[in-house]
Amino acid sequence: MVWGISLAVEAGSVACLIGPNGAGKSTTLNAVIGALPVKGGQILLQGSDVTREKAHRRVRRRIALIPEGRQLWQRMTVEENLLLGAFPKNLRRSAASFLERVYTMFPRLKERRHQAAGTLSGGEQQMCAVGRGLMADPLLLMLDEPSLGLAPRIVDEIFDLVRTIAQQGVTILLAAQNANYALSVSRYGYVMESGRIALEGPSERLRADDHVRQAYLGA
Amino acid sequence: MSAAERSPGLAARPLAVLPPLILLGLLAALPLLNLGANSVKVLFLTFVSIAASVGWNILGGFAGQVSFGFAVFYGLGAYTTAVGINEGLNPYLTYPLAGAVAALASLLVGLPTFRLRGPYFAIATIGVSEATRVVMTNLEFTGGASGYRITEHVPFRQLEHYFTGLMLAALAVGLSIIVRRSRFGLGLRAIRDDQDAAADSGVNPYALKLGAHAIAAALTAAAGGVYARYAAFIDPEGVFGFPRGVGILLMPVIGGVNTIWGPVIGGGVYGVIEEELVARFPQLHLLLYGVLVMLIILFEPGGVVGLLQRTRRFVLRRREASWQPS
Repeated sequence: MVWGISLAVEAGSVACLIGPNGAGKSTTLNAVIGALPVKGGQILLQGSDVTREKAHRRVRRRIALIPEGRQLWQRMTVEENLLLGAFPKNLRRSAASFLERVYTMFPRLKERRHQAAGTLSGGEQQMCAVGRGLMADPLLLMLDEPSLGLAPRIVDEIFDLVRTIAQQGVTILLAAQNANYALSVSRYGYVMESGRIALEGPSERLRADDHVRQAYLGA
Repeated sequence: MSAAERSPGLAARPLAVLPPLILLGLLAALPLLNLGANSVKVLFLTFVSIAASVGWNILGGFAGQVSFGFAVFYGLGAYTTAVGINEGLNPYLTYPLAGAVAALASLLVGLPTFRLRGPYFAIATIGVSEATRVVMTNLEFTGGASGYRITEHVPFRQLEHYFTGLMLAALAVGLSIIVRRSRFGLGLRAIRDDQDAAADSGVNPYALKLGAHAIAAALTAAAGGVYARYAAFIDPEGVFGFPRGVGILLMPVIGGVNTIWGPVIGGGVYGVIEEELVARFPQLHLLLYGVLVMLIILFEPGGVVGLLQRTRRFVLRRREASWQPS
């Protein structure tokens, strides 16, 4: 449950949501994609109200969520998982070219495209999840804890990846407990605590904030 | 990873279409052997069963929505064909008509029941099935409980029925393969494995389930229609009865749900088992089905196809092990 949240992500920029476990970061992202109901307020995408739209319709407007724990279809192949990212009719026509783009970005996925997704390593699964999100050619890409359960070296790779995707002009909303990383890749940040936004501001300013430093950066 | 799990496109395995076509050819040539009328009848009934079984699997297997209510569509198909023929329609026109009636009915059933998930959906389909049977038992214009007779003013030719059944079964398998390989089929599998994740990826679970339900219902109804013309007499207990719905579900479960050939094998096996069981245990055969389902789910949820795959893996591993220099 989250209350009285107001957040905006500027087109073409990276914003992050940081905060402890249970603060409502995932809830917020799930409400934006439409997996959780909104009791009050509005969700606007490029000015149009999507609050009452079902999740599968919002994806057509090119919002994508890369969920916590990746949520791949374990028994399906890598390629099938990726194709499901471009399932809506308006995306299907360009699925082949998106697929090529994802394979160029992740040659590893191309090598393993006929392998069941459940047999990939954790890092590869996260790549597959990111690839699936990119298949929707998103205007807004949301990542929920992309570094969860991954080795430190892979975590570096994943955050580099977020930067690369952002440079291509995709708007990104990133939720992460790893505040250090999240604030370093984002331009603007929101600190969530027990279902509310406790603090917000440009990421550089948040990094210097005493409360953030003590609670989240371990300084 | 076995080749079957990787499911490469047809282009990758052009020879994969050969065995089914050879089988179809053999079955088409089989009557040349002058089989007895009873063997032809058993084969005909098996083809009808296979069509219904393959149909059910599109919803129950591919989309993972287990329905106990397919007697509704089988019965509607049977009655549509029966009434159609008596009203002077060409029998072959009544089969697509039966399919269309059932597809429409499947929407009426699906719109409310697909709001439910898993076991709740399954239970709701039992209710729908029983309600339909009661209505049909009391419907006067089809003779109610005393049944309905089809009068055709043409000589009975058993082989015509045989080929109709064979064609229907082949059509069902073909449709099942097309669905499986299509983007629609991919969406169904996504729903089966994780409906919420599917919705987050832009799959509309409700619409896809309704679509799968309609295709499955149409095939099952066509099977009911083909059966009705052969039997020339149908009654609500026989075509709308709960055992009918259980039987349609049991075939793919025996053969292997969520596969192309499982429901075909199951349909074939079931025909034989049913004949034997009903003859030997007229009162107990439903109980025995129940035990069979429990055994399959406990020990080999993949059915016959699962058992074959497991055996193949076992043999391959043994062979590999024996090649290893010790």
